Amino acid sequence: MSTERNRESVELLQGTLDLLILRTLRLGPEHGHAIVKAIERGSDDVLQVEQGSLYPALHRLIKRGWITFEQGTSENNRRAKFYRLTPKGRRQLAIETTKWDRLADAIARILRPASQE
Amino acid sequence: MKFWKREQAGFEEEIRDHIERETQDNVALGMSQEEAHRRARVKFGNSVLVQEDTRAVWIWVWFEQLLSDVRYGVRLLFRSRAFSAFAVASLALGIGATAAIFMLFDKVVLRELPVPEPDRLVVASFGRPGTTFNYNLPYPQFEQIRQRNTTLDGVFATSPMGQVAVALRGEPDIAQGLFVSGDYYGTLRLRPVVGRLLGPADDRAGQAVAVISHAYWQRRFGGRTDVVGDAITLNQKPFTIVGVESGGFTGIEVGRPYDISVPIRAIEMLREGSPPWNEAFATWIFITGRLKPGVTLERAEAETKEIFRQASVDGARSPSDARLAAEHVLRLEPGTTGTASGLRAGYERWLRLLLMLLGAVLLLACLNVATLLLSRSDARRGEITTRLALGAGRWRIVRQFLTESLVLAAVAGGLGLAIASWGSEVLLRVAVPGAERLPIDVAPDLRMVGFTAGVSLLTCVLFGLMPAIRATSPRALRMVREVGGGHRRRLVDRALVAAQVALSLVLLVAAGLFLRTLTSIWALDTGYDRHNVLMFSVDVRLAGMRRPDVLNAYQQLLGELRNVPGVQSVTASAVRPVDDTSYLVGSVGRVGDRLFPGDKGIRAALNNVAPAYFATVGIPLIAGRDFDDRDSMTAPKVVIISERMARHFDGNPVGQRLVSGPIVAEVVGIVRDIRHANVKDAPREVLYFPLFQAPVPAPAFEIRYAGIASEILRASRAAVSRVNPGLTMFRMTTLEAQTRDSLSRERLLAMLATFIGGFAVLLACIGLYGLLSYGVTRRTAEIGLRIAIGAQPSTVRSLFLRDAAATVVAGAGIGLVGSFAAVRLVETQLFGVRPHDPTTFAVATLLLLAVAFAAAYLPAHRASRIDPITALRCE
Repeated sequence: MSTERNRESVELLQGTLDLLILRTLRLGPEHGHAIVKAIERGSDDVLQVEQGSLYPALHRLIKRGWITFEQGTSENNRRAKFYRLTPKGRRQLAIETTKWDRLADAIARILRPASQE
Repeated sequence: MKFWKREQAGFEEEIRDHIERETQDNVALGMSQEEAHRRARVKFGNSVLVQEDTRAVWIWVWFEQLLSDVRYGVRLLFRSRAFSAFAVASLALGIGATAAIFMLFDKVVLRELPVPEPDRLVVASFGRPGTTFNYNLPYPQFEQIRQRNTTLDGVFATSPMGQVAVALRGEPDIAQGLFVSGDYYGTLRLRPVVGRLLGPADDRAGQAVAVISHAYWQRRFGGRTDVVGDAITLNQKPFTIVGVESGGFTGIEVGRPYDISVPIRAIEMLREGSPPWNEAFATWIFITGRLKPGVTLERAEAETKEIFRQASVDGARSPSDARLAAEHVLRLEPGTTGTASGLRAGYERWLRLLLMLLGAVLLLACLNVATLLLSRSDARRGEITTRLALGAGRWRIVRQFLTESLVLAAVAGGLGLAIASWGSEVLLRVAVPGAERLPIDVAPDLRMVGFTAGVSLLTCVLFGLMPAIRATSPRALRMVREVGGGHRRRLVDRALVAAQVALSLVLLVAAGLFLRTLTSIWALDTGYDRHNVLMFSVDVRLAGMRRPDVLNAYQQLLGELRNVPGVQSVTASAVRPVDDTSYLVGSVGRVGDRLFPGDKGIRAALNNVAPAYFATVGIPLIAGRDFDDRDSMTAPKVVIISERMARHFDGNPVGQRLVSGPIVAEVVGIVRDIRHANVKDAPREVLYFPLFQAPVPAPAFEIRYAGIASEILRASRAAVSRVNPGLTMFRMTTLEAQTRDSLSRERLLAMLATFIGGFAVLLACIGLYGLLSYGVTRRTAEIGLRIAIGAQPSTVRSLFLRDAAATVVAGAGIGLVGSFAAVRLVETQLFGVRPHDPTTFAVATLLLLAVAFAAAYLPAHRASRIDPITALRCE
């Protein structure tokens, strides 16, 4: 990872990490490191997850019952925790996505008023 | 939190694993192993901090939800201010009043003595099995128990001294004193604050030493530490202060705190004559002991009982003594809360009763708030459905509801605590009138705070749980679109209101019975005239006077008082017509020629009165003469008897003799029966002896006056100090005020019960009003339609009134049945009124029905005025 690319990266908005984790897990169970990588890769490395903040977020989601985890073996045959979306989490993802869309839409409208479009 | 504890070890491994993977990724990008590892760790950040943050999630999520619930709850409560203010006020009143009474109950009945291991203390009494036991015991038996027992870690005797004049550098003051035997402080395991406490070495004649209580030390000596060695006089006799008790301890008898303790042997210095140290059948001391560790009460009782019996047998000097020795047994009781207490005996039932009444009204307040919350929760069904649809768990919403209730209960509890701290002192002042100092300390403490918090929490569950569960029940939610909700739900609401009506009727009946009790006591014919009689007492012992001076002093006092302007007649007596201290009862063994031997003796109350007593107090003389100056110490002994006593004689009692103990006296007069010393006591046999043949040390002076009592009192005070400047007046009052004070418990009960009953009816009516108003709102469309198709306003009105009537009548019916059963609980507190007094029941029921009708009329009237057009447009 070069310093230049770091400069271009964007810090995550508060609360959006939860949404991204839920979105990532929609594709199937993953372990912690893979979640970070998936978010970074999925955003073409624009979004940089401060890796330490991942775990409190994961636990927050477990606490709310949106995700759960199980012990499993990873690709290189090591024990690892796999986080998985619960049905409740799936519903929450829908709600959060809608909320996000509306927020993004609203912000976009303010930043680029219709007359300029 | 549990989850976190279980997962913590795994979590550390997970972090290591995470960093390991990142390192491998970095190596794959071409970094060296060290560089890759370093970067991975930098990217991860502080792993300890991450652990902390993750752990915090498990606390904070819970806490955040609570906070947001509380915020939401407060906001909602603010939005409906009228409801919140009403709920908080009624709950706070209920909680506060209950806590105030609980606090008194706790301090009078429940509180353990503030000494180490109070549960090992035992209190002795004796008597014939199956009868009332006597807590006053003879001294020789105590001495034997003290010397021979093997089961007690100390045993001591106490005897109340009563009032004592304490002079410090010539400055006089009246204090309460206690005589204690040498092991008092050692057995109780008390420590001095300064100096020393009394010990076994003080148990000998001539030890003129005294220990003062912590409160007295603060009050009289300003907490000076150099108080040890101070010379004081007790009833004009020199004593030395040797130490101060530690704070918090106020004696072993609840409600009788003492200021100063002196060795029991010092009695001889402070009282005339010597106490019956060697008489095994003279009862005058209290005995308290401490069990040795591991010794049961039964074992200690078995041992001391035998010692007591032996000492009684040894001390018997006559056949009747021997019979008593054989019949009477010693008993030990747990002394955790102290010895037998007059305050406790007099107030325990009363406090229990008040707690019951207040518990009932608190329950009613809870039902009331529950009713209101229920209709509110119906109004919030839309909000709840939306939240449930959005994925909120049912439990989460129940919690939200409960948090709102908790906010209500917490505010009410806080207010209640304030009400209670203020109320318990006010209550005590009214309940124990005339006390210069309160018999117990009523400063709020942790126990009261705990009780209030507990009660608040309980009320919260009582009134909050049902609305919460019902609002979120799946069945309720299916009814979102139904107009008016289900039949069963309305039934629950009505049942709640009916329960309130029932409870309030029970409380109203109780109030009525207590009011009638009070008025019937007040209206009793006591046999004397309680108006315009001023009374005060003096104690010649406090002035250090001995017998020859005493009679002179009394004569001079009567003479001086007679000259006070406005005084019509003056007299003195041992017992006042209404008295708050105990009086003596004697046994008459012979009247005229009739004998009443042994147990058959006529029990008669004794009084010693000066001439003109009957004229002053207004007791008619039926036959014979009043006492006069002829009846002096040297003259033949005479007695005046009450009517009831006269019936025991053959023929005219005047001129006949009666024998009571060692006294043989000729009957010179008969007076009308009175309710002796206590207005509630039935008239009984009374013997009046002349004060100047049998002087008492602390007589009351009664003055019949015309004019203003306070002016007469001021002039009397001057007259008393003219006779002897050392004499102080105390217990100044009028006969009327003393009668009122003697009924303070009945008065307070009637007052509180009336207040509680009124409050209960008000609550029930608000519940009823709320139920009907809600019904009217819910059925607006229906009523609009009815009116539109031609229903008369009166028809609509009666529709709702009938609806209300069904609920109220059901509630009143249950309330009547409940009252019939519940009066059993208050029976002992009633006087002059039958528990099932039909008038009281009828008046209470009619009153309730009338008020309920008024409460129902308002919403019913509103319904009849609904404009059909507006109503239909609303839909």
